[in-house]
This record gives sequence, C-alpha cells and structure tokens, in this order.
Amino acid sequence: MTTVTRPPVDDTVSDALSLDEGVGRPWAIVALREIVVRLTNRAFIVSTLITLVFIAGFGAFSVWQGSRTTTYTVAVAGAEGRQLVERAATSAHRADDKVTVEATVVSGAPAARALVDGGTADAWLHQTGSGWTLTSADDADLALRTAVETALRDTALERNAAAAGTTVQALELGTTLTTTRFDGQIGNSGLVKGATFAFALLFFMAAMMFGQQIAASVVEEKQSRLVEILATAIPLRQLLAGKILGNSVIALGQVVLFAAVGLVAVSFTDASTLLPTLSTAVVWFVLFFAVGFFALACLYAVAGALASRTEDLQSTTAPMTMIIMAVYVASFGLSGRALEVASFVPIASVVSMPGRLLAGDAAWWEPVLALLIMAAFSAVTVVVGERIYRRSLLQNRGRVSWKQALTARD
Amino acid sequence: MSTIGDQTTGPGAGPRATADIELRHLSRTFGDIRAVDDVSFTVSAGTLTGFVGGNGAGKTTTMRMVMGVLSPTGGEVLWDGRPITQLDRRTFGYMPEERGLYPKQAVLDQLVYLGRLRGLGATAARASVTSHLERLGLADRAKDHVEKLSLGNQQRVQIVAALMGRPRALVLDEPFSGLDPAAVDSMADLLREHTSRGVPVLFSSHQLDLVERLCERLVVLARGHVVASGTPEDLRSHSVARHRLVLSGDAGWVRDVAGIHAVDVDGPTALLEVVEHGAERRLLEEALRRGEVHEFSPQRPSLAQIYREVTA
Repeated sequence: MTTVTRPPVDDTVSDALSLDEGVGRPWAIVALREIVVRLTNRAFIVSTLITLVFIAGFGAFSVWQGSRTTTYTVAVAGAEGRQLVERAATSAHRADDKVTVEATVVSGAPAARALVDGGTADAWLHQTGSGWTLTSADDADLALRTAVETALRDTALERNAAAAGTTVQALELGTTLTTTRFDGQIGNSGLVKGATFAFALLFFMAAMMFGQQIAASVVEEKQSRLVEILATAIPLRQLLAGKILGNSVIALGQVVLFAAVGLVAVSFTDASTLLPTLSTAVVWFVLFFAVGFFALACLYAVAGALASRTEDLQSTTAPMTMIIMAVYVASFGLSGRALEVASFVPIASVVSMPGRLLAGDAAWWEPVLALLIMAAFSAVTVVVGERIYRRSLLQNRGRVSWKQALTARD
Repeated sequence: MSTIGDQTTGPGAGPRATADIELRHLSRTFGDIRAVDDVSFTVSAGTLTGFVGGNGAGKTTTMRMVMGVLSPTGGEVLWDGRPITQLDRRTFGYMPEERGLYPKQAVLDQLVYLGRLRGLGATAARASVTSHLERLGLADRAKDHVEKLSLGNQQRVQIVAALMGRPRALVLDEPFSGLDPAAVDSMADLLREHTSRGVPVLFSSHQLDLVERLCERLVVLARGHVVASGTPEDLRSHSVARHRLVLSGDAGWVRDVAGIHAVDVDGPTALLEVVEHGAERRLLEEALRRGEVHEFSPQRPSLAQIYREVTA
C-alpha cells in the first residue's frame, strides 16, 4: 500500500476569502470578462472583419469606378459620319471626362458588321434616308447614344439655323433651366440621404447584435442557475453594471472602427470635399450612439432577465426590436417637422439628429439638447431597469412578463 | 511558494472559522403553498450536517433562503449570532440545485472569474482553482471548454466553484448527485477537511447511505417541516428496537405473542418489534419450547428505516 500525498487545499490563501480585495469593483471584473469573451468569440471577429471588408470594398469600388475610362469606337463610311463622331466625342467628354468616342473608317456594311461582331467597334453609324442609324450588336450604351444624338441634333440645328438665316444661340435662347435651393446650399441631398442611411444601418446592426448578445448572456446565466452563484458573490447591481459597460465598450468600439474606415473610404471618392461636414456628423452620431446604447443595453439585460430560457428571448426582446425597427424605418420615412421632432426623441435621435446636422438644418444647441434628453432617458432606464433585472433574475418559474416585473415587489 | 500574506500549512491549520448558521422559524410561501413552514435548526461550526427529505420537501427552498437567493416570508437566518448579511454570504461556498457554468469558456478561466468575484486576488484564485482541479483529477482539462466535459466532470468543476478559496461556510444542494465513487470519496475528504477547519457544512442528499456514512448531524424535512434532527444515534434511540428471529420450524405463531409486533414473517424467519418491555423473554421461552432458536439478534435500524418512520 502506498501513501498518497495530496496537495493541501488552498495553502496559498492565508485566510477565508479576503474581503478587502476587489470588493469595491466587481463590476470591473464582470465588464472585463464580457469584453474578453466577446473579443475571443470567433463569430464576432468574423462578422466584424466581413463588415470592414465590405466598407473598404465600397471605397475601393468607388475609386475604381471613378478612375475607369470608357472608349467607344464607332465605324463610319464617309467624312460626314466621321465629323459626326468627332462632334459626339466632344459632347461625350463634356458630359463625363472619362468617356471618349473614336471613329474608324470602313468601306461598307459587311466590313462594319465584321468589326462590330469582332468587338473592334462598338457600333456602326450610317445614313439611312433623311436621317442616321446607329447599329450595334446589342442595344447601344446610353452614353454613346446620347453623345451621337446630341452631335446629330447640334449639326442639324446649325444647318437648319443657317438655312433660316439665324444662329443656334438665337434658337436656343431661353431654353436653359437653372436649379437652386431656398437654403442656398449646393445640392448634396444624395450624400445626406446616403450618410443617414449608413447611420441607420450601423445603429440597427449594432443595437440588434449587441442587444441580443446582452440578453443571451443574461439568460445564459439565469438558465444555468449560475446567477445564483453570482448573486451570492456580488450584488446584482454590480453584475448588471459590468454587463452593460463591457458590452457598450465593445459595441462603441466596433461602431467607431466602422465609422473611421467608412470615412477613409469616403475620402477616396468624389464626396471627399464634404469630409469635414461628414466627420462632424459622425462624431455626433458616435456620441448619441454611446448614450443611447446604454439605455438599450439595460433594456436588453432586463429582457434577458425576464426570460427563463433562451427560447423566450424572442418574445421578451420584442419591444426593443420594435423600437429599433421604428428608428430604422423613421430614418428614411420622416421629413420636415416630423423629422425635427424625431431628432429630439430618445433613441430615434441617434440617427435623425446627425442626419439633420449633415443636412445643415440644425442649430448648434439642438444636438446638445437632444443629447441631454437622451442622457436623462438613459439614466431613468438604467434605474428602473436595474430594479426589474434584480426582481426577475432569480425567478426561475417560467417567463416573467414586462407588466408583472414592473408591478412586482422586491 | 506564494506571495500572499501569512502561510498556512494545510486545510486543517490556520485561523478557524467557528461560527454557526442558525435558521430561526424560517418560512416561505409561493402563492397558497407553504413550501417551507417554520423551519428551525442549527448548522454548527465544524459540523457536517446532512439535509434529507423527499422531492418537494422544501430543502432547496430552505437552502436558497440561507444563501439569500430567495427572501423568506417569515423567520430569519443568523450567522455568528446576528442576522446574516450579503457580505457574509459572499464568503460562503454555494452549490445550487441545478448546475450550470458558462459552456463556452475554459474551466480554469471561469473558475478564476468566479473566485475573483468572491474577492480572491487573481493569483490566489488561480492557485486555489489549480490545486482543487488536481485534487479532483481534472488538472489536464483546465483549458477545455466546459461543454466538452462529461456531466460528471462538469459536476466536479461545480464543486471547485463552491469549495475554492477558504469559504467560511458551505451550503451544498445535492453535491454528490452524478458523481462516480472515486469522486464521492474525494468530495467527502474535501468536506471533512473543511469541517476540520471549523467550517459549518450543510448539504442535501437523496443518498441516505452516504449521509449516514458522512454526517455528524442530520435534519429531516417533510412537507416543509423539520420532522427530525440530531445525530444519527439520537434518531436511532427514538426508533423502536427491532429483532430478527430464526427458528427451526415455522414462525407464524409469533403473531400471537402479547407485547410483540410482527413486522414481517417468512417461514422460519420473523422480524419483530418489542412493543412491551420484557415481552422478548416470553417470546424466547415459547420459541425454545417449540424447537430450536437459530438466531435472535437486535437489528440496528438503517437511516432509510428511520427516514421512513419519521416522514410517514
């Protein structure tokens, strides 16, 4: 028989759990765990990388699109056709400096067809009756068609004007339409729309993803009864604080990363001149997101506490899903007075206020006020949410409804 | 070996935590149901107290109230003679009825996390977790995700979660369920080491043989009430003495002996309770008159038997 020497239990700890260590900040330990778990989660890393590639890809595509030149080769038989093509080249270049049109002389229809079929020429321009015909293998490109049409029209106008004893300028007098805006801005509504959409999408993705993750991590602890161990170790308030903080840091970090890469992508495009305006709006968006996400994170934690199993999450998170969907839809559905109101409503303001700032129709104090309103809303949500979270978390008998949780006693 | 403060040489050494957990008139109702009704008993320092009772007797509800996971509708829990606080409970080791850990986190990482939440420093938590994993034969699984472990091994991880650090008290709900015999022995050793340190240990179990083997004290709960409590010997002394009688012939006649209650008669063998003092003498004389007596022996009542009596 051999004697087994065992390592004694805890000869490294001097006394029963020393209370002076880490007592004041268990929330920091919780937050750190949430961050580490998220950052080492493969699905999270992959989805973040894919989104980054998508944003960078959009930038690269814009650059490629911007630098791409298109050359159309048109087969013509005579000098008159050649002149038309030269004229078309000028008008095409004026419309888009990346487009050129060249002429190549052919002997007749069979040669032209051979060139077009072989891909050397894009179309064959030839005279039919009193007009001209542009024949190509498939439908001719709009840019080429427009260029040739303009050339033909200009040529005909010149000829007809000369015949009538007047000039083209005289004929075209009063046909120019100029567009302006009452606010005096140069039209960049496309950019405002695009950026607002980007804000809405970012908000939607981050809120849904991180919100669901918070709820899932709460119900994971509840379902496994791990929460009973946690609840005896630290106050539940600290657990909630750590969860919200940890996830908010990650969510915000991701949004900042996406926004930064997005801005870099924009700097490579034609919209780069608007970068200062855009950057200001992005900074406001990040600020609003940070404050608004706090409230959402707390609500999602409550939703997790109300569920008793992962399967219940869909119904307990339904109110938040509706809020987020509403904010998303409102971001492109609202305009005018409604948009102004929305830009002060908590959560909705995350998307609509930066949008208004970008459009340039918000005074300096408006985003500040909206941010304060949202901060107040978040504070109230956290206080109320913390109570519901505490009451429901240790209830292990089925799903708790929002109404029950709000009216229950401690 | 360590950088932390005063060293102790083993679980038996060092300062003794010598407080009692005292339950006073503890009650809890769920709607109209009184799950726990006026339960009072003491888990003394350094004592292993077994908590037995059928399903739905109220054991888990009682333990959850001791740990503050559930608030009582009546009564109180005392620690060291004063009402228990959340800060006191923070130094307790607790094992809930239903087991669970973070499935997708490594064993070592989450145990260190739980240890740190209970106030251990990172180094101390790691050292305590490592030594416990070694004791329970799980050292080589420290880096594995919990979901990869068998249920029995997950149970061992749960044990470490409750016992690590130097808890001042242990409240364990069915700590032995799902353990193989080797793990039951390790667990029993660990619990004894803690009681020898002066820690009060309360654990519930359905395995009465185990409770009998380990416990110094016993509390039997039925329908929310304490129906018996004390040392196993105390409980036995209240039990009616039983005897086994084996004869050469049929034992059917014992049913008619005054002062004797025949619990069971099977051919020449009978199990008897002596209801009236002195009746055994009459019984034996009659038996010898009828033939030979092969055996007449007092039967030590098993805990299972006592349990059946008190919960009947």
